[in-house]
Amino acid sequence: MLSFRSLFAAAWMGVQHDLAWTAPVASLLLNVVAPFASVMTVSIIYWFGASHGTSAFDPTHLAYILVGAALYAHIAAYAWVPTTAIAEGKNLAVFPHIYITSRSTAVYLAGRALSSFVISTVTSLLALCLAFFAIGSVLHASVPLLVTPLSLAMLGVALLVNIPGALGLGYLLGAYSLYASKFEWSLPGYVAGLLMVFSGALFPPTILPWPLSAGAAALPFTFFISAARDALIYGLPGEYAVSLAYCAVGGVIMLAVFLQVYLKAEKRARRDGVLDRRLA
Amino acid sequence: MRARALVRLWSIYGEPLWVIVNMGFPILSSLAFSLLYLSIGAGSYVGFAVLGGVMVSFWSNVLWSMASQFNWDKQDGMFEIYLTSPASITAILIGMSLGGIINTVPSAAIVTAIGWALFHPVVYASWGAVVLTFFLTLAALYALGMTLSSLYLVYGREAESMNNVLQEPVSMFSGVYFPSIGAFSPFPFAVQLAASLIPLTIGMDALRRSLFFGQGFSGVSLDLFLLADLSVAFLIASMVALKALERKGRTDGTISVRIR
Repeated sequence: MLSFRSLFAAAWMGVQHDLAWTAPVASLLLNVVAPFASVMTVSIIYWFGASHGTSAFDPTHLAYILVGAALYAHIAAYAWVPTTAIAEGKNLAVFPHIYITSRSTAVYLAGRALSSFVISTVTSLLALCLAFFAIGSVLHASVPLLVTPLSLAMLGVALLVNIPGALGLGYLLGAYSLYASKFEWSLPGYVAGLLMVFSGALFPPTILPWPLSAGAAALPFTFFISAARDALIYGLPGEYAVSLAYCAVGGVIMLAVFLQVYLKAEKRARRDGVLDRRLA
Repeated sequence: MRARALVRLWSIYGEPLWVIVNMGFPILSSLAFSLLYLSIGAGSYVGFAVLGGVMVSFWSNVLWSMASQFNWDKQDGMFEIYLTSPASITAILIGMSLGGIINTVPSAAIVTAIGWALFHPVVYASWGAVVLTFFLTLAALYALGMTLSSLYLVYGREAESMNNVLQEPVSMFSGVYFPSIGAFSPFPFAVQLAASLIPLTIGMDALRRSLFFGQGFSGVSLDLFLLADLSVAFLIASMVALKALERKGRTDGTISVRIR
């Protein structure tokens, strides 16, 4: 099933799809707008709430929210790509050309997700940098981020380790999209919203009622964001390594399970003849 | 107009699951921001997040079911039918808006109910002003949607990317979840002034003041006046843009090209 050539072809197609609809630099910059606005929104909510609430404004807490907001948007941006690759592919008759090849469509979806991962990494980090400076000039607050070669390398490793979990989530959503023809367009909103609430992006999962807090704390994405904070804010290599290990294990399990779900769904969808139907 | 509105109504009430689908992002973002307010000791502002979730339902509907609708209609071949029918395109857009508003009401109501049930935000409302502000905000917002819908006629598939670009920044500058204009705004005056051209900005400000701070008609009269002005201005802008772009599309032969 695995073919690097097919994977690369799919990834290149993803780059074309995501960036070539206008001048690539312009589309890359436009892709920064949404995560930047999203990061600024939560930062301003914190600034407003802390300025008028009962607790004092804490720059470290602002950094906590800033990093979490940038990274949940990053995960959401590429985890739902398999869904849109299938939904849009069916709508525009691209997907039938993929599934008649000898490869499983899983390779195509992995390639699309990986290209989106690269684009989203660039745009999320740009959004984080822009927000860092915007917060300084608009909110007159300095965000205590550790920006050293080591902390950046730690962040880079965490981003890579998070791929299996996000790809696994993508396969699960993709399995749904094989059969759905109406509601799959709303999935990105759900994915982004669920990650906002359950990945510890904006607040610790412990404030959620049990058993939601336990479920949220066990997600690989929660460990990923926690590891990124350990690298960029707290400078805690030990805690970072532990979070990263949990993220890796959880991500690999998610990928293994949800890839099987996707392959089974694909097999069944072929048998049922819904793969090339715009309306399943 | 009535026919287009009815199509919208049948589309959602024939498939009630759409209500659940539409409320996904608004309810989850509202939940996340409410919990954020609570986690930083600002529980008294949790109502801002619930109200924001309600209004985001309508803003999403304007972007995805108004602005991009003609583009999707072109892809599905529906737009050619609109053009060849004797109905006015503006009437079709108004029908689409009315249908869109009625379709979004159940999702918005559920977001409200869940938000109120979970967080019990403190309300000190001047209900007359709240209701009038709410309807004027919707009128101005959907008139903006009509204008965008006309402008998107010149786009192909870029329309979707433009929507993705617009959604979050407009939510931020409009202050959907926090005050973006007035004394509590973090933005410089020039940015506040520019943001006030978006009906959602004025609407959110007036809704917050009338719903949570008990300001009546006199307190939000300037906002109501601005919202009424924006409604009329965007309605006229949409009619002018539609005419101009329809003429251009017919001349260039691109008006009914399905996929560009």
